[in-house]
Amino acid sequence: MSPATLESYLVVGAVLFALGMVGFLTRRNMIIMFLSAEMMLQGVAVNLVAFARFRGDLGGQVLVLFILTVAACEAALALAFILMLYKRRKSLDISVWQELREPDQDPVQDEEPLPDAPKPEDFQHLTPAGVQPPGKEETQEGSHA
Amino acid sequence: MVGLFADGEPERGVLPFLKENGLVLLPCVLGFAAIYLLLPQARRLKPAWGGGLAALALVLGAATLVRAGMSSVETMLFLAFAGIAIGAGVMMITQSNPVHAALSFALVVLSTCGLFLLQAAPFLMAATIIVYAGAIVVTFLFVIMLAQQEGVSNADQRSREPFLASLAGFVLLASLLCILQRSYLVPDENKDALDRITADLDKLTKAQTDADVIAVLGDPQKPVEFGKRTPALVKDLIALFSEASIRTESNKLAAAWNTMKRDDVKKTSAILLNAVQISRHSHGALRLDNVPGKENYKTPGHFAPGKLPAGNVAAIGKTLFTDYLIPVELAATLLLVATIGAIVIAGRRSEELR
Repeated sequence: MSPATLESYLVVGAVLFALGMVGFLTRRNMIIMFLSAEMMLQGVAVNLVAFARFRGDLGGQVLVLFILTVAACEAALALAFILMLYKRRKSLDISVWQELREPDQDPVQDEEPLPDAPKPEDFQHLTPAGVQPPGKEETQEGSHA
Repeated sequence: MVGLFADGEPERGVLPFLKENGLVLLPCVLGFAAIYLLLPQARRLKPAWGGGLAALALVLGAATLVRAGMSSVETMLFLAFAGIAIGAGVMMITQSNPVHAALSFALVVLSTCGLFLLQAAPFLMAATIIVYAGAIVVTFLFVIMLAQQEGVSNADQRSREPFLASLAGFVLLASLLCILQRSYLVPDENKDALDRITADLDKLTKAQTDADVIAVLGDPQKPVEFGKRTPALVKDLIALFSEASIRTESNKLAAAWNTMKRDDVKKTSAILLNAVQISRHSHGALRLDNVPGKENYKTPGHFAPGKLPAGNVAAIGKTLFTDYLIPVELAATLLLVATIGAIVIAGRRSEELR
C-alpha cells in the first residue's frame, strides 16, 4: 500500500523533457517547435511539484507559477514572430529561413520527393462568356487590406 | 568533481554498467527506435511498427518503475496520468498534421494537471488548465487556422536529421534515468529490514491483547541478560533512521513495552508507522552514504519532510506575497512588456517590412 514515490514523478518529468527536446530538434513546422518547447517546460513543472510535495515545501509550487507566467509571455511573443515570418514567406517551414545559417554550412536540400503528394484537382472550365465590365481594375486598386 | 565515484562504488567498465542499468536502458533504446520510426519522413515504415515499439517501451518502463506491493489507488492514477501524458507527447512530436499535434499537446497538459492534483497542488492544476489548455492551445489553434497551408508541405512531412536528433534526446534521457536510478534506488540490504519494520509496526497498531504485543516485541517479564532489555524492532529503528523524532518515539515505545501499557504502545507505534512511511517515501532511501565528503551534505534526516498545509490556495497566496513579493512584481512587469512586444511585432503591416 505504498503511494507512488518521488523518483517515479521525476522519471515522468525527464521523459517529457526529452520528448520535447527531440521534437524541437527535428520538426520543421515552427508551431510544433514551439509546442515542443512548452512540453519541456511541462516536464520541469512536474519535477518541481513533485519536490514540493515530497519535501513539504511550497516553494516548488510557487516556482511553477512563475514558469506559467514566463510560458504565457513566451507563447505570446512566439506566436507574434510566427505570424510575422509567415506573412513574409507564406510558409511555416523553418527551412525557408536557412539563409540565416553559418557561412560555411551547406544548405539543406530535400532530395526524396514526398510520396503521397496529391495532384491538384483539374476541374473542367467553362468557356468564359460575356465581356469584362470596363473600369474594374480601378475599383480593385484601393481596396487591399 | 574529483573522486565522485570513490570507494564503495561498483567497479567500472561496460559490462558492470550494463548489468546495473540494463533495466533502464532497454526501454530507452526501444523508445529511441520507436520515435525514429514514427517521425515524419519522406519514406518511412508503416506507423504500426513504431507505435508497437513505443507501447512496448512504455509498458517496460512502467514495469521497471512499479515495485512489488505498489497497488494503491494513487499508484493506479499515477500510472494512468503518466501513461497518457507520455503517449500524447509522443503523438505530439510525431503527428504530421499540426492541428492534431496541438490537440495532443492539450492532452499532455491535461494529464500533467492530473499529476499536479495527485501531488496536492489543486491551485496549480486549475491555473495550468486555464493558462495552457484555455489560452495557449486555443491561440495556437487559431494561428494554425490562420496560416493553414493546403495539401502536404515540406514543413509537416519531413524532419530535420531525425536519427541524430532522436539519438541526442534519448542519450540525454538515458543518462538522466541512470542518475535517478543511482540516487534513488532502495538499497537491497535495507529493503527487507524496512519492510519488516513496517509490517511489525502495523501489527502493533492493531494489537487487541497483550499477547499480540508480546508476539511482536517479546515478553518484558522474561528474564534476560543484563543490558539486552530492548526489543529488536526498536534497535532496528534506531539503526536505520536518523530522524530525531523517530529516535525519541522508539525510546518511548521501549518504555511502554517495559511497563506493558498496551494503549501507549499502540499510540506510539501509530506515530512511528506514519513517520517511517513519510521518511521512506520522501527521499526514497536516497543513497548519501557513498558520497565522499558526506559530512558537508545534509543527511536525509535533516530534511525533515514536513507536510504541505491543508489550505493550498491560502498558503500559496501567503508565500507569494511574503517570500516572493519582488519576483511577483517582476513577473507582472514581464507580462506587461511581453504584451506590448507581441502587439508591436504582430501588428506591423507586412508591406512596410518589405
